[in-house]
Amino acid sequence: MIRTLRILAANPLSLLGLILVCLITLAAIFAPWIAPFPTHNGAVVDFLNNNRAPSARNWMGTDLVGRDIFSRILFAYQISLTLGVVVLAIAVPIGTMIGLLAGYIGGWLEMILMRIVDVFLSIPPLVLAIAMMGVLEPTLTNAMLAVTAMWWPWYARLVYSIARGEREEGYVLAAEVIGAGAGHIAFREILPNCLPAIITKMTLDMGFVIIIASSLSFLGLGVQPPTADLGSMVAEGARYLPDSWWLTVFPGLAILVAVFGFNLLGDGLRDVLGVDE
Amino acid sequence: MSILHIKDLHLGFKTLTGHVDVLHGIDLDIAAGEKVALVGESGSGKSVTARIVLGLLQETRTARISGTVQFDGQDINAMSARDRAGLRGTEMSMIFQDPTSALNPMFTIGNQFTEVLRRRDPKLSKAASHARATTLLDEVAIPDPARVLGAYPFQLSGGMNQRVMIAMALANTPKLLLADEPGTALDVSVQAQTLTLIRDLVEQNGTSVLFISHNLGVVREFADRVYVIYRGNIVEDGPTDALFANPQHAYTRALMSAVPRITGAGLPEVPEVSDDFLAPRISHGGAL
Repeated sequence: MIRTLRILAANPLSLLGLILVCLITLAAIFAPWIAPFPTHNGAVVDFLNNNRAPSARNWMGTDLVGRDIFSRILFAYQISLTLGVVVLAIAVPIGTMIGLLAGYIGGWLEMILMRIVDVFLSIPPLVLAIAMMGVLEPTLTNAMLAVTAMWWPWYARLVYSIARGEREEGYVLAAEVIGAGAGHIAFREILPNCLPAIITKMTLDMGFVIIIASSLSFLGLGVQPPTADLGSMVAEGARYLPDSWWLTVFPGLAILVAVFGFNLLGDGLRDVLGVDE
Repeated sequence: MSILHIKDLHLGFKTLTGHVDVLHGIDLDIAAGEKVALVGESGSGKSVTARIVLGLLQETRTARISGTVQFDGQDINAMSARDRAGLRGTEMSMIFQDPTSALNPMFTIGNQFTEVLRRRDPKLSKAASHARATTLLDEVAIPDPARVLGAYPFQLSGGMNQRVMIAMALANTPKLLLADEPGTALDVSVQAQTLTLIRDLVEQNGTSVLFISHNLGVVREFADRVYVIYRGNIVEDGPTDALFANPQHAYTRALMSAVPRITGAGLPEVPEVSDDFLAPRISHGGAL
């Protein structure tokens, strides 16, 4: 663990990714304390200061009802990261289990599971999420549900492809030969060999989940006002471009920085953990 | 009494288009403490025989197995899958071609050793298993057991891993050791050391060995008795000395002439198929 971090930090780009991810995480956790206007996350109106350009008082300007954009971005990170963590915490175990079962046990189980996965993969992710959100109410929980539903098949396929390969490895036969059962082989022999790839993909996917969640909010299908969300902030400000540029540029940059950070970190991890695409 | 008694073993696989026969009635016996070699070219049925003895092929639904396979008096084919799994790793074990890939790259040698030892003694403590592993590694002449136990397989050389594999395979003092071309993935000098090591240890423990190989030179040095297999039939068998002194079957002769000489007489020519190879079995006796 320490060794991995040290090798990771030796690459300047990976180090930048690590720093960005740490900063964003800290900012999200401590948002209520570090935000200059902690109340501006919710339904606050301050018409004396509305739609102001960046200044010493409001570093990133204020929005149409006078709320501090910098404060709102910090709170929006909270939502984005929670959503990313929850989605991956549900999607990864489900996908991993299904991939492992299909890849190791094979036979008709593999046929059924992987064809279901193929069906999910054949629908463009955003379309599936929009369809789900159209049926359900647009809330944060449902947004998480929709994104989870489109995310697990990718893990199923990743773990399946690795498990398929590892199944033929010598150490699996060696484990069979000393009498190990299917459960032991799947979880204690094959799964550990899938972990580097899973961890790498999870890091890269944090960025993508943030983008997808923001896209849903941008379309008005995710987090609802007055709660701050990067996607809905961009959507609100888009009508006032280019005059009130700070309304869109700063939330947009915030998305960019988060995704960029997770991608750099993921790429770095991939090199360190020796995962090949 | 024989440890392994195989009588009239047939194996076929069901395929989409019909039926493929792989073994056509194999007879093979191994006495307690005896080292027996099964020699043949790739695809002759050596490895599937080993997988049947281990009870692994019986789990494959497309495999059709008939005949008798008795291990230590028990009929392997008649056993439940659970009982067969119970024999593996305790009463019988195996050494593989490529030791490095036979060890899981994600765990240390010490960790994997503990798992092997817990097959016999599920409540074995970490400290006790470490102590036992150290002794076992010492027996296979590993100079610094503590370092090796803390290492991952990819941090050790192929020769080191081979020694670790041998120590693990013999850790639970099995009655039968299957060796599937051990060390063919290693260089020749390491391979020779490996064989000497296996021979010394099995003689010390009284373990029987089924040695699977295509290399007659190695077989001659290692085995007490030899079976030659060709296309799922045993074509010739007998004590090593008798068989090498007077090979009778056309296929055995072809195999022997196929060994390249170090003196360099060019690559020998071996026909792919020959009617002589299908001649009936010749036995030099020597089995129990």
